[in-house]
Amino acid sequence: MKPPPFMYCDPESVDEAVALKSEYGNDSLVLAGGQSLLPMLTMRLARPEALIDINKIGDLQKIERRADILEVGAGVRQYELEDHPLVGELVPLLPEATGHIGHIENRHRGTVGGSLAHADSAAELPCTAVALEATVVVQGPSGTRTIMAQDFFQGWMTTALEPEEVLVAIRYPVTPWTAGHGFVEVARRVGDLALAGAAAVVNLDEDGRFTSVSVGVLGISDTTVRASAVESALIGEAPTEENIARVAEEIVPSVTSGDDLHATRAYRRHLASVVVSRAITAAVARAHERSNGK
Amino acid sequence: MTTEHTDTTEHTDTAQKSGYKYIGKDRKRVEDPRLLVGRGGYIADLKLPGMLHAAILRSPVPHARIRSVDATEALKLPGVVAVLTGEDCKAKMNPCMNFGPATVAQYPLAVDKVRYVGEAVAAVVAESRYLAEDGVDLLEVDYEDLPPVTDPRAAMEPESALLHEEHGSNIGCERTFEFGDVNAAFAGADLVVEDTLHWGRSAGMPMETAGAVAQPGFNGVLEIYCNSLNFSYFSFLIAGALRVPSNKLTMKPVPAGGSFGSKLAAHKVPTLAGFLALRVGRPVSYVEDRIDHLVNSDHHGCDRFYEARMGFRADGTIVGLDIDVVDDYGAYMQFGVGHHGNAFSQVVGPYRFRDVRYRLRAVLTDKCQQGAYRGFGSEVHNWVLERLVDSGAARLGLAPEEIRRRNFIQPDQFPYTIPGGNVYDSGDYPAVLDKALSMIDLDRWRAEQKRLWAQEGRCIGIGLATTQERSVFSSTEFWFLVEKPVLPVTSSPESATVTIDPTGQFQLMLHCQSMWGNSPETVGATVLAEEFGIPPESVNVRYADSAHALPSTGPGGSRYTVMVAGAIRGASRKLRKKLIHIAAHTLEVAAEDLELVDARVQVKDAPETGLTLAELAGTAYFFALSLPEGMTSGLEESYTYDHPYTTLPAPDGSDFGVFYPIMGHACHIAVLEVDPDTGIPSFLDYVAVHDAGTIVNPKSLGGHVTGGATQGIGTTLYEELAYDEDGQFLSWTFRDYLIPTAGEVPPFRIGHVETPSPFTEYGVKGGGEGGRMVAPAAVSAAIDDALREYGMRVRQVPVKPSDIVAAVQAGTVRAEAG
Amino acid sequence: MTTSTAAKYGTARRTVTMHVNGRDVTREVSTRTTLADFLRDELDLVSVHLGCEHGECGCCNVLFDGHSVRSCLMLAVQGDGHAVETVESLSVDPTELHPIQESFAEEQGLQCGFCTPAMVLRTKEIIETGHEMTDAEVRHEISGILCRCTGYQNIVNAVQSAGAKLRGEAAADGAAGGRS
Repeated sequence: MKPPPFMYCDPESVDEAVALKSEYGNDSLVLAGGQSLLPMLTMRLARPEALIDINKIGDLQKIERRADILEVGAGVRQYELEDHPLVGELVPLLPEATGHIGHIENRHRGTVGGSLAHADSAAELPCTAVALEATVVVQGPSGTRTIMAQDFFQGWMTTALEPEEVLVAIRYPVTPWTAGHGFVEVARRVGDLALAGAAAVVNLDEDGRFTSVSVGVLGISDTTVRASAVESALIGEAPTEENIARVAEEIVPSVTSGDDLHATRAYRRHLASVVVSRAITAAVARAHERSNGK
Repeated sequence: MTTEHTDTTEHTDTAQKSGYKYIGKDRKRVEDPRLLVGRGGYIADLKLPGMLHAAILRSPVPHARIRSVDATEALKLPGVVAVLTGEDCKAKMNPCMNFGPATVAQYPLAVDKVRYVGEAVAAVVAESRYLAEDGVDLLEVDYEDLPPVTDPRAAMEPESALLHEEHGSNIGCERTFEFGDVNAAFAGADLVVEDTLHWGRSAGMPMETAGAVAQPGFNGVLEIYCNSLNFSYFSFLIAGALRVPSNKLTMKPVPAGGSFGSKLAAHKVPTLAGFLALRVGRPVSYVEDRIDHLVNSDHHGCDRFYEARMGFRADGTIVGLDIDVVDDYGAYMQFGVGHHGNAFSQVVGPYRFRDVRYRLRAVLTDKCQQGAYRGFGSEVHNWVLERLVDSGAARLGLAPEEIRRRNFIQPDQFPYTIPGGNVYDSGDYPAVLDKALSMIDLDRWRAEQKRLWAQEGRCIGIGLATTQERSVFSSTEFWFLVEKPVLPVTSSPESATVTIDPTGQFQLMLHCQSMWGNSPETVGATVLAEEFGIPPESVNVRYADSAHALPSTGPGGSRYTVMVAGAIRGASRKLRKKLIHIAAHTLEVAAEDLELVDARVQVKDAPETGLTLAELAGTAYFFALSLPEGMTSGLEESYTYDHPYTTLPAPDGSDFGVFYPIMGHACHIAVLEVDPDTGIPSFLDYVAVHDAGTIVNPKSLGGHVTGGATQGIGTTLYEELAYDEDGQFLSWTFRDYLIPTAGEVPPFRIGHVETPSPFTEYGVKGGGEGGRMVAPAAVSAAIDDALREYGMRVRQVPVKPSDIVAAVQAGTVRAEAG
Repeated sequence: MTTSTAAKYGTARRTVTMHVNGRDVTREVSTRTTLADFLRDELDLVSVHLGCEHGECGCCNVLFDGHSVRSCLMLAVQGDGHAVETVESLSVDPTELHPIQESFAEEQGLQCGFCTPAMVLRTKEIIETGHEMTDAEVRHEISGILCRCTGYQNIVNAVQSAGAKLRGEAAADGAAGGRS
């Protein structure tokens, strides 16, 4: 299990990385944290002509607040989402969800952009990006463009990234102080890819009813799923156990994954509503804590 | 005599009671310092000048004829030295060593046909492993697909495709054994429980894979360094496969980074490395990578389908057992059906019933062959027995501990001959159960279970299992299940050589590679310390290569501690005798008036008069004229210790004789919670009490118990070497094959009971297979108990979250309907 | 490839300088060599064990700029200019073990030794960055390294014992004004 030969390129600027992507397109792969790419190389499931290592590009490694946006560079290591005070303060869902990514050894090396670009449907960061209505920033030969996370993830390990583009950052709207968030995932072992999971952000009005609900669900389909039916059914409802459990069932039609070694389709259909329900319940509890001034 | 103690917290000092100074005490292991600084000396660390590396092309299809292998492009690649295929094997070697049917021959590279996904098809030898893998990428194979044979029950049908045409059937072995009268026993039973059970494939899966480095060495001797075991026992069989005279093959032992059975005679790896080295005339390293190991280790564990019945009287007394087992052996049968001999060693478990029927069909399918995995088949039998006992208890309204207590063989019944002829040497099963119960408050847990279910809908389960842990196999079990055995061997010896050098320092030579994570050096040093009164840490331990080795069988079947202790004690007695005679001659005192105490030979009544070992050693080596007449120089003695208690099977097959008589026992109690909505289990408590006779090192034995129990938990809940119905392998990586992490397993609480064996030195019994012999039964019972409101019954392992949720949903539907 | 790209990146070998176990080392390596193979084959740091080569077992973990990482999932060229620590940095002398290694020996937190260097390094990182941990916390923190022998119990004991030992030493140093 050794990597095949490739041309190793380690540009020091985004422009140069984009130039390399433009030159090699689909014959090249971007090496960020390597936690998914290196196994594909050692198993020889990927044989790029050129490997473009973006780890030397300092511009990709910033975490910054810009007005109501938290911008995280693509090269930021995942553990930094857990440790950085700005992230916990502005988008508290992120550190909580990130703690579920693999093991600490993976998060020390794995990057935010790498996880998004890899677009594994069972991964935490694509799911939170969708739930948080984040925007992905990509740069190509003609400049940068932004893509809503919802549109960025297109299918099984497929994104809206063009062959000549490089993912440079992700912009998260700052979570309102009064909102509550919840993240729940179920995996067979600590650190495993989830069998299913859900990220939820909710806002409640003064009567305690849902004014907004945003839920992303992972592990149930080719790509991370926005639970729109669940969300719209909850608006205006009281966050009772019965309401949440009943409405969570709306996710079931979105489960398209088939049977695999670790779970059956029937199980995932059941589990999807369980994680959605639990994530919303956790988010509601947080919202209550916040409105109680805790 | 039985004594008991609990690890760390309730430790009673065995040594004090027994009078031993070193045996029975927690001691640091002598193996550990080198391992802690990262110098374990593993096979992948070995680099020889000019060494080449091999990588393997593996079959992507389950069953196919190999039309051709085209190596043209691979051989053009700079750095690639050679490409070898099954055609080369067929031309230049004999089939690999094989204890199964001769008509099921195998080679290290597939000859003519591939018979499972992952079977080795060709080897590329190159200047580096990177280049060898580049070469593999360039090979072209033309396969003619054949129908895959994947379901062992369908494989027995006449219309099934055949794996081995020469064998004429996919049934490798079919036998029915009956001891007593099972029909009569069941006719008289008040209750008969029946179950259809499946034990799925898991494997030892050590963190280090198997590997070998072979080189054509001095004097034309082929030298093979290898982390596999047992080769002083049958390196001649590898020589036979390689068509090398056995005195021209030397197996060089290399410590293993774990085995759990998977390196027990892992013969194809060294055979292949040897074959490649002979072809290219240079040293060749072949170390499996993880995919090599997962898909083609030759050591997948048991894969058994059971129809099982157990009869009971109304009071819970077990009256009989009826087993019909189909065992999916995969494509080859290197160890024959020895796994079922293992089941017969403890076929009635710790229980008194006498009537047993056992129908075995060992079936060939397009999967990796079975090898050894901690328990070697007896752990599966334990699970089946305990599943049935629990079923009977539930039906009869008896608590799990109560039905077991009513059926235990009693302490005054030993030695006890079981149906089939094996003998249990000693035991005190009620004491082990009592010890386990004393360590956990079952009444409190049962009350808590009721309360949490009633108040919060939470599902807590308690599972209890009492099983045997046979140790010290005799080689008769290699063949007694076979109708016409080819080589009915009866020896399974172990040897040791003890040397005191001229300065009085000790060397201990072990005659096989036995370091695979266990503590052979600690055991050896502890026994020598006990015999001579020297500090255990001062002993240096070495391993003989096959050219220097005395008869030895190696570790496996929880035998090594018992056997090597016997060998070392035998050699020590000879050395002690020589030392005392030298001292008697020097001091001019009668030998019978001398004793060896604390590294010194002294006069019994006047201990101030004596000679140190160093003084005596100086004399022994350098002052021949001062030695007693007829004595020769030096201080080195060897001893070969044969199996302490083996008898021949009855010629008519009516019994198997005594073959596994050193019988340990254990009780595990698992407490866990299952989330019925997700099917995820989590442990709340776990108690394990083992009786492995006299304990040499309680902490080391405890480590085997916790390690084995963790593997048992893996087998029960996580690990699976899965094939789909088309024969595709589904467990290619560690993302698929789930080994428990620290996050899944409980903090274990360990207790020990000691019932010494009457047949072994110091009364030691084996404990190496530890917790894996017990945990699957306890954990399965706990899962059932947690979900009893839903009618859960674990009928197959691994039991996955989706199985659990499916059972919960079915139970909910039943409850709503009823 | 364009001439300029080829000129800049076309070479299959690179010279790297890495700060390994406290010393700078410079070697020429193939650009596809993994960091794990580099440490094992070029620097003879054979404590870095290859258990799976796809980032799941943790036996090849090293500290990279102070953080534990899977060295099988990195390229040697990525180590250029960075600091790497293996268990050899604690002690290479079996007769003079580091207190963490000593705790593993005392608690028998190892059997075959294959995951052991990674476990010892992870313990060092946990102790340096963390606080006193419960059994469950330790289990979570070491869950990225698979051990097939011990069932983890004795490893958890070793981590806690080493932590107590080193924190005790640190406290004693603090009370005595420290060792600078």
